[in-house]
Amino acid sequence: MGFWDSILGKTRLPEAKTDRLFAISTAAVTLEAKLGLKPGGSAGVCIKPMESSRYEAARTEIEDLLKLSFKETGTVYSIQKDEYNYIWVILNDPDFDDLVTNIQMICQILMEQGFGTQLLAAVYSFRGDGTVYLIYNFKLGSYYPFVPRGDQRDTSVEFRLRSLMEKELPLEKDEAKWYPLWGMPI
Amino acid sequence: MFLTMFLLAMVYLVFLAVLLAMDTSQTVVILFMAGFMFLQYFYSDKLILSSMGARIVSENEAPELYQMVSRLCAIADLPMPRIAVVNTSMPNAFATGRNQKHAVVAVTTGIMQQLNRSELEAVIAHELTHVKNKDMMVMTIATFLASIAQMFVQWLPFLGGGSGRDRDSGSNYAILFLVSLVVWAVSFILIRALSRYREFAADRGSAIITGQPSNLASALMKISGFRVPTQDLRRVEGPVSALFIVPAISGSSIMNLFSTHPTTEARIAALQRIEQELEAV
Repeated sequence: MGFWDSILGKTRLPEAKTDRLFAISTAAVTLEAKLGLKPGGSAGVCIKPMESSRYEAARTEIEDLLKLSFKETGTVYSIQKDEYNYIWVILNDPDFDDLVTNIQMICQILMEQGFGTQLLAAVYSFRGDGTVYLIYNFKLGSYYPFVPRGDQRDTSVEFRLRSLMEKELPLEKDEAKWYPLWGMPI
Repeated sequence: MFLTMFLLAMVYLVFLAVLLAMDTSQTVVILFMAGFMFLQYFYSDKLILSSMGARIVSENEAPELYQMVSRLCAIADLPMPRIAVVNTSMPNAFATGRNQKHAVVAVTTGIMQQLNRSELEAVIAHELTHVKNKDMMVMTIATFLASIAQMFVQWLPFLGGGSGRDRDSGSNYAILFLVSLVVWAVSFILIRALSRYREFAADRGSAIITGQPSNLASALMKISGFRVPTQDLRRVEGPVSALFIVPAISGSSIMNLFSTHPTTEARIAALQRIEQELEAV
């Protein structure tokens, strides 16, 4: 979004950046070794739905593709709406690599259909001493940790994760952008 | 929008040229005004929040509001603004602050009660677009020379008439008075036009960020239906009223040309066109 776009009042949403989404695949090993965090077997993509019939078409296409591809990998999926009216495509699969590949595929379809701007986040859950989420923000193109404990965040765990994972994972440097996602259906 | 800005810049250039040509020692006045406007702009967040009786709320106090705003910020890649709540039944929302880092988005308790979640989200996206479009800065700059012209119009008759040392300065004052009058009148209309354009732009931004133009349309209908003639209106006059979701000044009697906000009907019609565009792409 350029300066003149702002001054002249033109709104364009930034496109999704997916190039570093895949980095989680190798980082999972380190997460387990250094922090004792095992993949939680579930992941999801959060989308801001649009008011458009095209959107409905994309949705059916994704469902069809998911059904096809999941016959091979055995991934279980569900599509849910959360309390803020965002759509979640939730995947469950004990095999972490299958999760990563399938999340990648969903994002690709959405972007091909022109919904890249509506992608909010991809989330991977990890289990250790409680659940730890790694959230990929599509607009920033980076990950950040989110560790909910009750209705609070455990920031000390989040910061520890950052200092240990900085080299393995493209983590968002500006903590002000570590937006929490409460009420995730994952 | 560009044409309005261009015309406004032209008017101001002419005004400045006249001021310079006159060489009447008005520099002090202008510098004083500039300083005043700058302070007003720089402390806009604090000034407006306290004049509106808005209170900054923490995430624990308003978790839903925070979640709503932070998701929109993530979608639009904006820094998270501070969030304030005004305790009044009047449904309204506004944005203020000199830049994105110092932005505050405020909602009234009335708007939170009257709108459902999607509608409130659309209103907040409208306010976030004001922040993103730097409307506080644009409107401050746009009104700066107009307020100087206005001041000349109001004070020159007293200054000019009284001294009368020589004929030259007397006629200078007369010219300056006339020029200021014209600049004031023309820029007033242009500023109001600019303000309405920025409202349309913010509506459009809201439609794009939320992906659902109809939510804002229904929010606008609800709010405008409930609008009540308000408390002390002078408090919210000026460049600031440009950043409200609906004008706090009751606008029914004012002609459209002079109003800071487009009519609700025009805004809903524009949102409908955006909806059709989204469908067509």
